[in-house]
Amino acid sequence: MLLKLAWRNIWRNKRRSMIVIGSVMVGVIALIIIDGLNNGFLSQMLFNQVDLNISHVQIHKRGFHDNKVVQSFIPDKKKVEKILRKNGKIKHFSERVVSFGLVSSAVSSSGVFILGINPEDESKITTVSKSIIKGKYFNGKGREIVIGSKLAEKLKVDLGGKVIALANRPDGSIGSEVFRIVGIFRSPSSNFDKTYIFVPIKTLQRMLGIGNNIHEFAIVTQNYNLAETVRDEIKQELSDKYEVLSYHDILPLLIMQMDLYKETMYIINMIIGLALIFGIINSMLMAVFERVNEIGVLMAIGMKNGKIFSMILLESLLIGIVGTVFGVFIGLGLNEILSVQGIDFSLFSKSLESWGIGAVIYPHLSLENLITTFLMIPFITMLGAIYPAWKAIKLEPVAAIRYV
Amino acid sequence: MEILRTENVNKIYRDNGVPVQALKDINLKISKGEYLVIAGPSGSGKTTLLNLLGTLDKPTSGKIFFENSDYTSKNRKELSEFRLRKLGFVFQAYNLIPVLTALENIEFSMMLLGIPEKERRERAMNLMAELGIDDLADKKPNEMSGGQQQRVAVARAIVNNPLIVLADEPTANLDSANGSKLLDLMEKMNEEKNITFIFSSHDKQVIERAKRLIILKDGQIVNEN
Ligand SMILES: Nc1ncnc2c1ncn2[C@@H]1O[C@H](COP(=O)(O)OP(=O)(O)O)[C@@H](O)[C@H]1O
Ligand SMILES: [Mg+2]
Repeated sequence: MLLKLAWRNIWRNKRRSMIVIGSVMVGVIALIIIDGLNNGFLSQMLFNQVDLNISHVQIHKRGFHDNKVVQSFIPDKKKVEKILRKNGKIKHFSERVVSFGLVSSAVSSSGVFILGINPEDESKITTVSKSIIKGKYFNGKGREIVIGSKLAEKLKVDLGGKVIALANRPDGSIGSEVFRIVGIFRSPSSNFDKTYIFVPIKTLQRMLGIGNNIHEFAIVTQNYNLAETVRDEIKQELSDKYEVLSYHDILPLLIMQMDLYKETMYIINMIIGLALIFGIINSMLMAVFERVNEIGVLMAIGMKNGKIFSMILLESLLIGIVGTVFGVFIGLGLNEILSVQGIDFSLFSKSLESWGIGAVIYPHLSLENLITTFLMIPFITMLGAIYPAWKAIKLEPVAAIRYV
Repeated sequence: MEILRTENVNKIYRDNGVPVQALKDINLKISKGEYLVIAGPSGSGKTTLLNLLGTLDKPTSGKIFFENSDYTSKNRKELSEFRLRKLGFVFQAYNLIPVLTALENIEFSMMLLGIPEKERRERAMNLMAELGIDDLADKKPNEMSGGQQQRVAVARAIVNNPLIVLADEPTANLDSANGSKLLDLMEKMNEEKNITFIFSSHDKQVIERAKRLIILKDGQIVNEN
């Protein structure tokens, strides 16, 4: 009955309540859009890197991640392969030779990571094969090379053009090879496009004189969330001659940023809540003062202060819930539309691309933040009624009734 | 059986620092089942006295006993509980909660007592039928006339079987036909259920029908019969 009473009280002054509900709604919509954008931005930043290159889990010889020297080979390739094959959580894996070197054309040269890959395996691991804008992803034979569009610009080369790659061999001599460009890719990250080139694994092994050896296994699990589990499972089976890293280990700053962002979102919730709370206090104070003699009658007939206090808090809480529910619905709808089309930040895309995000951001909501908003905003709205409710119970019944 | 007694009750208001003696040495004894009217001109202290008897306010000096226990020293919460269980109120106007229907208004006091929904609905409906106001059950206060609202207020006041019903000029805003209907109702409840009624009024109609009359003047009892 108290609930019924509180609910009907809200609608006594429809306009005033609608204004407050509207402001709660706008606040909630803003929170959802902010969260969608930020979260979309961060996850795009993360997953672009994961999908382009890093994959979910990598295996190297211990120390290779920090110091990529050419002689740091995977100690026992066959054994690792066996372990990976029998793990059901692993979808695909690919062998890589990773080397740092120089690539030059007739006019220019550039420092690059040279990745020797098996295109059939690698195309299941990263999105590079789907990012080809000119030519094709090679079939893995001979001296074919795939480079990024930014690098092609810099070297002033095009499809069919020749480039020379140079890199250190384990014995200290320099290995070199001439490659013919068969494909040019363009990813969301201009930095990646400038610094990664792909050649057939056999050719790179020969150029470096390392026989059958490789430096890295790149693994894709059934689901991003399994990366840590799979890492730990593989770790258990391998000696400490190996290092097994998930994308969390490889991109610690980004992961930290995402965690930090969750904290930030609490603060943003609070700030929006704080902005709302003054409107609530004002409106609830008016609601109390309009009803002074009614509250006096309630006191006279024996309604206790605690109940009167709760009734007023409840009114405010209901306003908060109504505003939040509508805000969430509208916010989710907007977010849905935006996440299909993406928001084009072409104006700033130069900087976004160097962050590895791409010009279009697809908002993405986190359930966790949605729940935070859902709980926090009505709660804050309720807090806004504390002072008005306190005012109400401080009324003296006689004084309140005399108002009549 | 005495249920209410006042001993030398005084009430002095301070109006901008100027003391106003609203009640002076009020000594009263009221027994169960009485039907008492407190009459007197405007400003004579009727409302002040009723507020004191209703524990809504405290006397400046003197004591008020209900069933031989002193209520002038009790705290707000105890008084609230006491009013809920033992007193019924009918004010001059605006008695009812505007967002609740007549039925819900009557149920409200029972809800405060924690009576389960089914029982309170039944009791409220029965009482409305008894008072002949069951056709008002689903009406909100603004859909009722003043007289209808006052009759619903009486129903609310008596639904918890109070010790005393206090009514401050209940007919003041009613025409004489409606006033008389309201008085019929209260008289009936007094006679059939032996509920004690204390009124204030300067309405001739009310005074004529009083079973016991107290006349106040300048805060003092000048005549009692
Ligand atoms: N809150 C108050 N402050 C100051 N004076 C008051 C207050 N309430 C009542 N009075 C004074 O007390 C006297 C009695 O008032 P009241 O009890 O309202 O009389 P009645 O109900 O018989 O008209 C009047 O002189 C009135 O002005
Ligand atoms: Mg009066």
